[in-house]
Amino acid sequence: MASILGLAIGILLGLWFPGYFPQILSDYIGIMLVACADSIIGGLRAKALGEYNESIFISGFFINALLAAALTYFGKKINMQLGLAALVVFATRIFQNLAILRRNLLNLDSE
Amino acid sequence: MADHEWNQEFEQENGQSSDKQLSVREDAVTGEVLDGNPPASSPKELPPVEAKRSFGFGVFLVCILFGFLVSMQFKSVKVSNNTITSSQLRAEELQSLLNKERAKNQELYEELLRSKDDLSSYRQMALQSGDYAAVLNSELTRAQLAAGFTDVVGPGLIITMSDSAGQITESGADSNYYIIHDNDILQVVNELRDAGAEAISINGERLLATSEIRCAGSTISVNNNRYVAPYVICAIGDAEGMSSALRMRGGVIEQLAIWGIQIELQKSDEVLIAGYTGKTSFQYARERLGEGEGE
Repeated sequence: MASILGLAIGILLGLWFPGYFPQILSDYIGIMLVACADSIIGGLRAKALGEYNESIFISGFFINALLAAALTYFGKKINMQLGLAALVVFATRIFQNLAILRRNLLNLDSE
Repeated sequence: MADHEWNQEFEQENGQSSDKQLSVREDAVTGEVLDGNPPASSPKELPPVEAKRSFGFGVFLVCILFGFLVSMQFKSVKVSNNTITSSQLRAEELQSLLNKERAKNQELYEELLRSKDDLSSYRQMALQSGDYAAVLNSELTRAQLAAGFTDVVGPGLIITMSDSAGQITESGADSNYYIIHDNDILQVVNELRDAGAEAISINGERLLATSEIRCAGSTISVNNNRYVAPYVICAIGDAEGMSSALRMRGGVIEQLAIWGIQIELQKSDEVLIAGYTGKTSFQYARERLGEGEGE
């Protein structure tokens, strides 16, 4: 519930906020978004399994996003799309975590 | 066999053991470095109650940030797409303005021609009215001929100058050397005048006493109108003399041939050179009274 409320507040905040991200940052923001999504799904999974740890969640969130952006940056410097590697990892994890979450929720419902 | 598969599926949906299996596999694939949450095998240090209490705030905060980033990125991408389309719109707008301007130009030109017709008919009428008018008229005609305002015809030379046709073979060669510049045309015109050309036009634009021949980007500006290669220079005068002046050893044709610029000369008994149709305005120079003939 908190996550949906937070998401709504965040989206409204973003819509209300004047100004835009500069074009150059577009790549970095994009990959950071996917990293954030991965962290949130991961956190929900951990919560569902009862393994949630706040400090790990918060630090993971920021470090994942920063690492993804850094990979993209260095990828640009060496002319290799390193950001794709992070992207693939995040997307894969989103699917896996979502699958676990789904199974867990279905299980709870049936009980 | 189908039964067996179905059973497995069912087990996966329901069984706790398969959940664990999946978690272990996930950890094996992605490793722990990027993980935002503890692995399935990590000890459950935190009591469930504390975990539940702390859960809301962190996820809430991160979700706000995530939503903010998402909507900002959406907005930014939309804006950057819009700027591209707006620049396209601007180009279209400029194109339509240009077309309008061209149409207006054409209309004005036609009006000018009509006025010239009117003028010549007035002059005709004046001519019939007396001797003095006839003298004035012949004076005027001479002056107009000298100024380049009338169409003239006579024997002369048609010179066609084109840029170098061959591809530049040497790498690193400056392509500027292989195209015609204002200086090249100036040289040709100068030679023609030296050889006694009486009327000269470049791509149909009459050269006057005040005409410029000047580089304007990739074009050449004559009487403030722009022309592109190939340049056709018509000159009325002694064709033989003008031709040999251009072909002189070490002359302009030989010099330009080094760069592959082609100059064709064509003698003609009937070269037609149109008069200047633009406007003339003397802003600074004015007639000094009591000197010379005074026309």
